[in-house]
Amino acid sequence: MSNVPTIDRASRWKAIRTEVGRAVGALAIALAVAFVVVLLTSKSPFEALNVLLTQIPARPRTIGLWLDDVAKLTITGLAFSLVFQARQFSMGVQGQVYVGGLAATWVALSPLGTTWAAIPLGMAAAMLAGAIWGFIPGIAKAKLGANEIVSSLMLNYIAIELCNYLVRAVLPKPQAGVLTTNDFPDTAVIPQLIKFDGLNITRLDYGFVFAIVAVIVVWFALYRTSWGLKLRLVGHNPRFAEYSGIKSTFIMVSAMTAAGALGGLLGSMFVQGQGYGKLTVLFEGNLAFEGILVAIVARSRPLAVPVVALFYGYLRQGAQLMNIRTDVPAEVIGVVTAIIILLVSSSFSINFIKRLFRRHAAPAATATVPAGSAAK
Amino acid sequence: MALLEAIGIGKTYPGGVVANDGVNLVIQPGEVHAVVGENGAGKSTLMKILFGLEQPNAGTLLLDGKSVHFAGPREAIEAGIGMVFQHFSLVPSFTVYENVVMGSEPRAGIRLDRRKAIAEVQALSDRFRLKVDPLPPVRSLPVGQQQRVEILKSLYRNARILILDEPTAVLAPQEVQELFVAIRSLVAQGKTVIFIAHKLPEVLEISDRITVMRQGKTVGSVKTSDVTEQSLAAMMVGREVSLRVDRKPTDQSQRVASVKGLRVVNARGTEVVAGLDLNVHAGEIVGLVGVEGNGQAETLEAIAGLRSIAGGEIEIASQSATGLSVLERRGLGLASIPEDRIAEGLATGASVAENLVATRLNDTRYVRNGLLDLKAIKANAQKLIERFSIRVGGPGYAVGTLSGGNMQKVVVARELSEQPKLLLVNQPTRGVDLGATQFIWRTITDARDAGTAVLLSSADLSELLALSDRLLVFYRGKIVAAFVNSPDLTPETLGTYMLGLSTQTPAEMQVALK
Amino acid sequence: MTELFFTVFSAAFFVTIIRTSTPLLLSTMGGLVADLSGALNVALEGMMLTGALTAVLVSVYAPWYVAVLAGMSAGAMLGLIMAFFAFRMRADIILVGFAINILAAGGTVFALSLATGGDKGTSINLPSKAVPAVDLSFLSGIPVVGPFLTSILSGHSVLSWFAAFVVFAVWYFLYRTPWGLWLRGVGEYPAAPEAAGIPVNLVRTLSLAVSGALAGIGGAQLAMFNYVGFTRDMTAGRGFIALGAVLLGARHPVGALCAALLFGAFEALAVVMPGIFDDAPAELIRAIPFVVTILALILFSIRAQRALALRGAK
Repeated sequence: MSNVPTIDRASRWKAIRTEVGRAVGALAIALAVAFVVVLLTSKSPFEALNVLLTQIPARPRTIGLWLDDVAKLTITGLAFSLVFQARQFSMGVQGQVYVGGLAATWVALSPLGTTWAAIPLGMAAAMLAGAIWGFIPGIAKAKLGANEIVSSLMLNYIAIELCNYLVRAVLPKPQAGVLTTNDFPDTAVIPQLIKFDGLNITRLDYGFVFAIVAVIVVWFALYRTSWGLKLRLVGHNPRFAEYSGIKSTFIMVSAMTAAGALGGLLGSMFVQGQGYGKLTVLFEGNLAFEGILVAIVARSRPLAVPVVALFYGYLRQGAQLMNIRTDVPAEVIGVVTAIIILLVSSSFSINFIKRLFRRHAAPAATATVPAGSAAK
Repeated sequence: MALLEAIGIGKTYPGGVVANDGVNLVIQPGEVHAVVGENGAGKSTLMKILFGLEQPNAGTLLLDGKSVHFAGPREAIEAGIGMVFQHFSLVPSFTVYENVVMGSEPRAGIRLDRRKAIAEVQALSDRFRLKVDPLPPVRSLPVGQQQRVEILKSLYRNARILILDEPTAVLAPQEVQELFVAIRSLVAQGKTVIFIAHKLPEVLEISDRITVMRQGKTVGSVKTSDVTEQSLAAMMVGREVSLRVDRKPTDQSQRVASVKGLRVVNARGTEVVAGLDLNVHAGEIVGLVGVEGNGQAETLEAIAGLRSIAGGEIEIASQSATGLSVLERRGLGLASIPEDRIAEGLATGASVAENLVATRLNDTRYVRNGLLDLKAIKANAQKLIERFSIRVGGPGYAVGTLSGGNMQKVVVARELSEQPKLLLVNQPTRGVDLGATQFIWRTITDARDAGTAVLLSSADLSELLALSDRLLVFYRGKIVAAFVNSPDLTPETLGTYMLGLSTQTPAEMQVALK
Repeated sequence: MTELFFTVFSAAFFVTIIRTSTPLLLSTMGGLVADLSGALNVALEGMMLTGALTAVLVSVYAPWYVAVLAGMSAGAMLGLIMAFFAFRMRADIILVGFAINILAAGGTVFALSLATGGDKGTSINLPSKAVPAVDLSFLSGIPVVGPFLTSILSGHSVLSWFAAFVVFAVWYFLYRTPWGLWLRGVGEYPAAPEAAGIPVNLVRTLSLAVSGALAGIGGAQLAMFNYVGFTRDMTAGRGFIALGAVLLGARHPVGALCAALLFGAFEALAVVMPGIFDDAPAELIRAIPFVVTILALILFSIRAQRALALRGAK
């Protein structure tokens, strides 16, 4: 069967083409809707659109902001990809980011913060905290069958309130009344990535490198290790996995824990990164949930995540620029994000449009009644 | 004039599958009409069309001589057609009367009139001899009674025509007789019954006329009094069906697995396996006979390690297996073909190669130090695809793209690729076309001939009689009879024990229990 | 400590609980209806938020009841959109829910900014209206209990009384009407009502619309009585607490009512405590409903598991 490899590759390219087509199609529609909104509400819609789409590469500073966002979006996209591959709906990345940030802060503001170990230890502590935060819904689901959507959502808000409380009342702050901690010592802040004479991009730091490393690690884990294969099999069919002797509970828990570690890492990237260098309330700004978009457009494939993050991060920063320079608020990106998620998760395609207009809608999403079929 | 007529019905599903092609059906009022054909013949599609669950691409339906078209079940129900599916549509926590009246409830203003509902259901139950108490929640009822609730649903809506889809699949022969009494009562009171079936003896007993379908077409329509089982089977398959598989003589002295005093309790707290002993030896096929739900499936699951046991011991390859995990038991040489390949036997979204290696992830040929050897995995897949004639584009294709028979071949290939010591098989050819069925029967027999010990559970008595060396009859979680297979052993004899109508004495069972 | 005791067991605190619980209760009832029909609505948060903003903006130009209706309609509309993508387009309902939340979070700030001419934080510069309180002070005329009755019953928002009615209405609907039977059947075992010709997707769509409508009214109450005016992200997780209340209340209207009141009590505590104790960790008190929900979730799961284990099953 010597033609087998080419058939594989051919089918894979076809799949990629379909996926990219789908993503681009969804993006086009979302942007079109956004454009209509902008057209109706802005005094200079075309200028706004121009800023949104073209002004990012104009200056090193904006490029830095963009790539910094890409790094962060990649991490949260990877986290969601891991849990989605295991078919779990743990939505707790946001909470993991906050507890990760707290753990990193604790290291940074401690005596260890002034040593060389501040960054690696801070990251490790953050990943550990995030892993624990991911572990809790995982073990509750695995051992008790407790709904991981609810438990992870609750943990998000617990983490946020915990962070709010600690910043307001416990952690050292520069003056009373502000909702931020002291600045971290320089040794605890991740250094800038690009800082030469003539090219000083301030916001971009080594977090970008961590993101690339994370992509490779997650890809390798999912596709080259038996843990990854087990995880994907559990995601495809948990009963089959059990029948094959795969310990579904362990896999589910470890997937959510690993994703939690990624979330925690993101928290460290935030607070120890060039953008902050301290802990502030609500520092994450709902970025974690945008990982959902990245993950589903990338079909939970680790190698596709950074590509999607690149494009989406561009739009995101574009919206910020548009907000500063024109009269269109950045929040219009929320419309774009939502539409993309809705379309892509509907397995949007040309067939979809046909289905939309077919008069006879398919029977409800129920167990189709199998008259005389193989079902028990 | 015919009550219901289907003329030239055609249905092609998106994807190209032609389920019905020029199908004709004529139902006379007041008759019991059986529609027979093997899996994939198109019976279920035709019934779905009659009931409005599917729309035909071609042809017409005539009811009382007038052309009708059902856009959905609601319209079919209003026209007087009721359908009882194999898989019941009953809300478990609702009471019997709530299930019966749901959708057409008696009302007092906006309020649901419960008293009236109970009374009406009780009245129907009495009138048609379908004894069931309206008050308890449906999940607490045994299967035979749940089926009665389903029939009452149709009668409540004044169905004139009742379509029963393989109603006897989950009933014991005694319950089947009760059902037949009810059907005769329905017919006597003016109803018409369409009866879809696989089991030819029953078809010959209850029906007045039979329509045979094969590969989406109608082969013919006959009066029951004019045919025999063999000629019916020939019409269904197109050739004489050989009902025994040739087996080589083997040395069956070496015991491969044994079970002592096995007790299994299900999720509802009922004991489904109540102190069972059995042995299986190398080179033999032991058939587990019984109506579904008498403990056969649970016994196999317990041996495989998929179900925890409440008591007893299991031994595999002379080692105590009672505490071992599934993977460890597979390491002892256990393989198993599950009842529902899509739900339990395969990951349809994963590739054929991944499926073929899924049970061997602790085998150092494919996994070392936690890392996958992709080349070895792919080579293994290619080898098995050839050996088992699996029709697929390549090892990288998703299993979900395969046909039912080929999917089952993937399962069989995976389980039989390394000669297992003990093979557990549950419903191996359910939903599989005849060609693949023959192949799978051959494969299992070949494994047995080469020394594998096989435990086979099947709802199909003819399959059990064709393949087994010994037969153990299950009833209520115990073995009540044991036979060495011979041409004299008939389904009727087995049937008597399957319902607990008699039990063999320990002495009688001794020989066949080994 | 005694000051806390007297504060908590005062009529004024009871009134505060009713006030804080009302938006939560309305959303909880919405979540209950959706959940029982088999469509888990994680977008309650976004629906409340959208309802709040819509109500505030409309109230600038119209009477309060029109504003409330507008809020309700906005929520219902989001429910219909959710249903469209989840059922017609077969998208996963959880993802659709989060998309709605993201849309609401961004969309409300966007609309706010437009309406206020640039203020993205609050609508404080807009003359939005409030929902009137129901004055029952005539009750003071009743001998002996009069003043007590007045203190605990008078002054609640119109919508609070409406919410109480909603609880009864939902209960009656679910357990006394045929359509409630349909809805519960659809949620528990959709194949059965489908075989009976009941339009499963329509039932779920309507339940999501109702769910959104109730959440929208809850948002209106939030921005027209609890606070007057809209602030960005003002729902602060109430939509998710509502899901917790549905769970804690064992998915029954009366249970959900009790759970919503309990959670409302914690929110009230979080408001009151910092006044009494300087260093009260208000944030941690606000986190208690979330913790309680997780504990309830775990407890219910343990109970279900233990029931299975007692029978020695898998």
